[in-house]
Amino acid sequence: MNCEWVQQNITLYLYSELADDARHEVEQHIARCKACAAELADQQEFQAQLNALPVEEPSASFLAASRMRLQEALETAEQKRAWYHRFAFDPTAWLRQVRFSPALAAVIFVVGFGGGIGAMYSAMSGKAPVPRVVSGSPQEASISGITSIEKEPGTNNVKVQYDKRLPESVQGSVSDPKVQDLLLYAAKSNENSGVRLNSVDALTSKADDPRVRETLTYALRYDSNPGVRLMALDGLGSYVKDDIRVRNAVLEALLNDSNLGVRSGALHALEPVRADSSVRMALQQLSKEDPSEYIRTESGRMLASMPNIY
Amino acid sequence: MPAEAVAVPFTVGPGLRPPETWQEADKTSSVPLNRGVIKGQAQSRMNDTELIREAQRGNHAAFEELVRQYDGAVLRLAYHLTRSESDAQDIYQEAFLKAYRNIGNFRFECSFYTWIYRIVTNLCLDLLRKRQVRKEDSGVVTDSDGGSYDLLDQVADQRSGASPERDMMRRELGARIAKALTKLTPRERMVFEMKHYQGLKLRTIGEILNTTEETAKNTLFRGTQKLRAALRDMR
Repeated sequence: MNCEWVQQNITLYLYSELADDARHEVEQHIARCKACAAELADQQEFQAQLNALPVEEPSASFLAASRMRLQEALETAEQKRAWYHRFAFDPTAWLRQVRFSPALAAVIFVVGFGGGIGAMYSAMSGKAPVPRVVSGSPQEASISGITSIEKEPGTNNVKVQYDKRLPESVQGSVSDPKVQDLLLYAAKSNENSGVRLNSVDALTSKADDPRVRETLTYALRYDSNPGVRLMALDGLGSYVKDDIRVRNAVLEALLNDSNLGVRSGALHALEPVRADSSVRMALQQLSKEDPSEYIRTESGRMLASMPNIY
Repeated sequence: MPAEAVAVPFTVGPGLRPPETWQEADKTSSVPLNRGVIKGQAQSRMNDTELIREAQRGNHAAFEELVRQYDGAVLRLAYHLTRSESDAQDIYQEAFLKAYRNIGNFRFECSFYTWIYRIVTNLCLDLLRKRQVRKEDSGVVTDSDGGSYDLLDQVADQRSGASPERDMMRRELGARIAKALTKLTPRERMVFEMKHYQGLKLRTIGEILNTTEETAKNTLFRGTQKLRAALRDMR
């Protein structure tokens, strides 16, 4: 096969898109032809460069937040549909009436709800083991802000769009994905440390799920509240042996956390892996230089209890 | 030249049936599937076809289960392509809402995977075209929230720590690549994203874009050539 053909197909070759016989031809040719081998190398380098923009798996909280937003939108959509059918309400007829009423200075389009957001949705989902969604009644909903006001030209009609905040609750097992998504979201995003603490606490029972571990690790690294960090550490403790990311996070906490309680918790959590080289190095440094006497002593003790000290 | 737009039927979804039929459909559902049973059956290998049929009958648990099978991949694609969390979330939202509204029209002529990806791809193409019109190839992008940011800042580096110089170079290269990608047409960008970054087969890409594998191949070539040239020019 000639060079032109080969060079045209190198891209496909690198993406494993060539049929077996074509692939064989290309490989054979490249073994013999310097020019084409150079082109292959150039394209390989180009592809490697593209990895400077790696594809990242969306974080657990990003996915959870997206799912929640979708769920709300689905519930609203379902609500509108069911409500529409329930009352055989014709919004266009209503609008026509209102339009020709000169006394009205403004028209507020109310997207009303028959039984509260979520109630209709969970009723449609069927009975049994669905987490219970309890919503406040619409009267409890408060207006949280006006988002837009549009005036219809040439008339006195105005459309006001506003957001309503309606409290809701979900009850169910931590194994349920809906509940878990909410917990993952709360652990990262909530301003109230008590809420974050309780979420992390609830999540520790599911630390066997890598997604949950990722959120716990995030909390250990970045949460502003030491109590939350300690709670996350408790949940992660048993995974230092098997999950290298957990081990690294705990090691970082030991070295960098501002709170002594978290640091000593991290130190003890690392006991099962104290023979690991990076852990050992950290222990050696800490036993000599750490400002806290407790940490110095404990690190020394852990080092001493190992079979070999280098 | 195949049409740019992929037709996704927009007409009546299951929701606009007259009230009696809607309620009847619920009652006549032979298997009263709820989330608990769905889970159990998923474990005993309930196939997509059953899930889709259930979702078409109005079973929300079935639809949710379908969403969960694809939403991670959808979000990953949208985020890598748009480099904006809010744009990615918007695409995610729109895509699954569209799927929800149109699931009644799914006729099993293609796989559900292809169907979902078609919806997502069209939304992505729309966004890319909008960005092009706004001439956002200077490296500054405006996302759906109205905020603007430099592409350089978007190149998150998870592997930092080894050497600050190397991290910096990596980030710069990443920004250059992001900028070079904006030089592709929306279609070329889409094909390249799906082939190189998401690892889809050219044949699948052709199906998703409602065109032939050959066309997808040629689009890939053009995109690759442009990218290589752009990166060489930037050095």
